[in-house]
Amino acid sequence: MSIKRGVSLYSYQQEQFFKQMDFHDMVREVRENLDTDGIEIIDEATIKGYPFPSESFVFDFRNTMARYDMQAVTMDIYLDVHQFRDHIMTHREAAERLKNDIRLAAKLGFKNVRPLCLVPIDVIEMALPVAEECDVRMGKEIHAPLPIFKANKQQPTTGMAAALDFRMAEQILELAARTGSKHVGLVPDFGVFQHSPCRPGIEYAKRHTKYPEIVDWILENSVNYSPDDIFTAIREKFPQNDINPGMISRLSLHESSADPEDLRQIIPYIVSIHGKFYEMTEIPGHPGEYEDVSIDYETPIRILKECGYEGYINSEYEGQRDQQDMGFENLPDSVEQVRRHHEMLKRLIAK
Amino acid sequence: MFDEYLIRKDSLQNVCEDGKVTGFRFAVRIADYRGCFLSLHNGYYIRCDGVEYPRELQRFQINGKAPRTFEEIKKAVWEHWDYDDEGWVYVTKPGGLEKGMHEIALQQSVLSQYGYMPWDEEWLRNPPVPGSGAGAGKTAVICTFSLELQE
Repeated sequence: MSIKRGVSLYSYQQEQFFKQMDFHDMVREVRENLDTDGIEIIDEATIKGYPFPSESFVFDFRNTMARYDMQAVTMDIYLDVHQFRDHIMTHREAAERLKNDIRLAAKLGFKNVRPLCLVPIDVIEMALPVAEECDVRMGKEIHAPLPIFKANKQQPTTGMAAALDFRMAEQILELAARTGSKHVGLVPDFGVFQHSPCRPGIEYAKRHTKYPEIVDWILENSVNYSPDDIFTAIREKFPQNDINPGMISRLSLHESSADPEDLRQIIPYIVSIHGKFYEMTEIPGHPGEYEDVSIDYETPIRILKECGYEGYINSEYEGQRDQQDMGFENLPDSVEQVRRHHEMLKRLIAK
Repeated sequence: MFDEYLIRKDSLQNVCEDGKVTGFRFAVRIADYRGCFLSLHNGYYIRCDGVEYPRELQRFQINGKAPRTFEEIKKAVWEHWDYDDEGWVYVTKPGGLEKGMHEIALQQSVLSQYGYMPWDEEWLRNPPVPGSGAGAGKTAVICTFSLELQE
């Protein structure tokens, strides 16, 4: 046994958007060209008629998985607290959505669901009996800018990072210990091992600002500022700044949010892993071998192997969205990007 | 994301209701990698040939139903806008648009997010006015389209 490879159909969102591929085509691509069986889906992208799909959709999905002899690994689920518009969804209501998503996942044959890192821990606990009953594990996502363990990291006070709890993984471990449940765990995302901004993101930022020199300044100087201080620095140095805060956070990334060594302590809790990547380029001097130069895959995969992790890493290609402003002829080919990602995964797993 | 593709290029048309041209419409997709509960759809920033058309002059058509105002859309809490589906944005402009090319600047507002956020109560009382980037989902810039009015 070794680490298994899979694909989140998220990777083919662009092909789905342009109706070049539907989920049947995606599953066939994974089986026939990537020679593997792991499938992960985004509920609100793949499931026609979410959250109440027809019986015929459910049968078609299960049948397609059977036809290609696939494994339904993880279904990614969401929490939109503004759904009702006359009040913010309460935690009990959030738990109802989560329970419905778990039942839906079970119906489609999935072994796991991935609730977001911002789902409150009491919501997870309220849904736990349904997860047990359906035998579906809940893996809370460890998504950048979260670390795996907080240790002495400072929690940012601005932007979305301020809403995240850096002790999220600890809360999950505590819940698992207190309840003795095997149905609560974690989904680490390789984005936590991203150490520098990706090329498509940098180029996108430069195309959409009147002052590309601000982008260059951020890239050169972010190392000297905390995630909070960089905003003040930009405001003072470039009062004309027109780059939005989300993009500034992305551009000022200069170290990974998590320490791969921390993986050792969470191995039994890992439900599956998101293989986030932005752009696979050929490794200089190694024809046919590819890497994402902004994310460390080598160290975490070495550690996962040393610890005997035998679950899935599911590709999650995200570089397309920064290239959809330049005409049809400049769109990236997600199918090729995922094939390259699997060349890398296969090579690093076998190493 | 999908910056250049949020409006279908060949979809700009005048709208005729009860024998009168009441405005124009164009077909859109969601600026996200997933669909949303329809109630989360909070309207558009729309500027056509330099004139802004606020949310009160917009309607949205989806799921085989007649066009609805965004006050009505807000109440569609159990209806879903699926990722694969195209919707139509209707803009009230008596007389409609002239024949020929038009420049439309657009930002879509969908209040989907990844859980509880510090601004939730504020958005409940005062939903963001589309255009600032707040509540703009995955495409925070204003995208510009040159479209020819179809017959």
